[in-house]
Amino acid sequence: MSKHQYAIVMDLNKCLGCQTCTIACKKLWTDRDGTGYMYWNNVETRPGLGYPRQWDRIGGGWKDGMLQPSPLPTMDDYGHAWEYNYEQRLFEGKKQPVMPSPEPKSGVNWDEDVGGMNEEENYFFYLPRICNHCTYPACVEACPRKAIYKREEDGIVVIDQDRCQGYRYCIKACPYKKIYFNEVTGKSEKCIFCYPRLEKGEVNACAAQCPGRIRFVGLLDDPESPVHKLVLVHKIALPLFPEKGTQPNVYYVPPFNPPKGTNYGKSILEDSRIPIDYLVYLFGPEVKDVLTRLEAELKRTQAGGRSDILQLLIGRDADARFHVRPKLVQIQT
Amino acid sequence: MRIHRLLRAAAACWLLCEIGLLLAQNAPGSLQSLKVISSSTGADSLLKGESAAWDQIAPKHLALNRTPPLYDTDEPAALDISNVDVRCVRTGDKLVVQLSWRDPTHDAVSLQEVPNSAPETRFRKVQTEANDRFFDAVAVMIPKEPGSQIAPSLQMGDAEHPVQIYYWNATRGAMLMEAQGRGTTRRTGQTFPTNGTYQHGVWCVAIELPNQRPGTLVAFAVWNGSQADRDGRKYFSVWQVLE
Repeated sequence: MSKHQYAIVMDLNKCLGCQTCTIACKKLWTDRDGTGYMYWNNVETRPGLGYPRQWDRIGGGWKDGMLQPSPLPTMDDYGHAWEYNYEQRLFEGKKQPVMPSPEPKSGVNWDEDVGGMNEEENYFFYLPRICNHCTYPACVEACPRKAIYKREEDGIVVIDQDRCQGYRYCIKACPYKKIYFNEVTGKSEKCIFCYPRLEKGEVNACAAQCPGRIRFVGLLDDPESPVHKLVLVHKIALPLFPEKGTQPNVYYVPPFNPPKGTNYGKSILEDSRIPIDYLVYLFGPEVKDVLTRLEAELKRTQAGGRSDILQLLIGRDADARFHVRPKLVQIQT
Repeated sequence: MRIHRLLRAAAACWLLCEIGLLLAQNAPGSLQSLKVISSSTGADSLLKGESAAWDQIAPKHLALNRTPPLYDTDEPAALDISNVDVRCVRTGDKLVVQLSWRDPTHDAVSLQEVPNSAPETRFRKVQTEANDRFFDAVAVMIPKEPGSQIAPSLQMGDAEHPVQIYYWNATRGAMLMEAQGRGTTRRTGQTFPTNGTYQHGVWCVAIELPNQRPGTLVAFAVWNGSQADRDGRKYFSVWQVLE
């Protein structure tokens, strides 16, 4: 167990699906050789295939204290990185249209906004995903090289690139499939929770750039931090697939789409646009209690009252959303 | 759950028996010798397989063992490669070891070379083409201490008896490694001359080592990419003694 644990809360009711977080991360960390296909931060439409395809169904994680088997996702599951023929079009005078190559057949955001139907009413929401920096990381257990470790000072899970030999047991073990193999370097990579930024007092790039202000960052055990309040005090944020046993440290405020056309006056749980079963599938049965609490807060404010929870979730200012403690995570020299 | 525990206990017993058997095979006096001839042919010529010196020595047909499943989540693997043929020639201050084995699946690719210029200055970056393939490989392991008469653990040596591993990968080339026990393998950053060819379903890989004195212990390992071999998931021989 680490002394402290950084955590992130994402309010799915505010996510625009704009992918600014994805690009912020991509430009900062995965704009290198071998990383074209990998998105340490991705935003996928739910319900949907996800990235890599069907990651939520192929295995990994813990059950009865044992690692669970899983195949490795293929490049077709991730989608091959494609490039555009800008050189030919712009500099070599060839009058071809700008086209991607190889021909895209799958990708990180392939089924964007497709969503699903619930009694003839459409529903979907966006699910941003990063490494969960789990409290009981399956990847750490799976690595025979002991190349993956959880930083004692802040709980961030990182891969020592000097020790990694690219065996990919970690990718199989991760139930969220948030570790990626770089064939050019022959090593595996993952989200580092922007620890170099945190150590300088800057919040994660994905959180800093988010136009929807959906992300809240801080130490889970810091009573001043918004994540502590949202997760432990107000209890309105839940981890993804808690049954996978890794105890993720990315938490989500569950979404509720606008009411269905026919359910005026009914509560979310009575007649939800997003099928409750689907939310239970993602966040576990506790999601019903969370939705009930959130709906009560909404009703209070609609009646002219005040809600500390909703005020916190609005998170207008960066100070309200982020509580980075650089001194706690500075490496002692 | 109880059946699962029983199965695990049975697997652990089998693993212990297997290790005990191998240790017994490695007891002093029970190790088999590996013939080495001397030649004045240059190491380069030997590596390329061009020298007639290779015809003067019959290959030793070494049995390969398959490592037992190391992890609960490991898929089982069949003993598809049952042996490796080994020939050794001394030339000057070099020892050239030639290993050949039948492997119907050729698991090797040419990875695109990474240009010297920084990625951000280029239009195109080298892309990962596949993330789920593993490559054929072979390795020669010797004790790090010259003339060591005690066989280090076959599992990458042990704390008292470190080993050197001359590892050749069909895609990534040659890497000299050191280890002192399972999970401690470390790349030294050094490489060594090799030559690998694949013809008619047979790999033939020649590896150049510094000359090793007679009596040096040596063991071999083969990885089959198609069987997702990497790490300790591999084929291995027991220790041999160089003549």
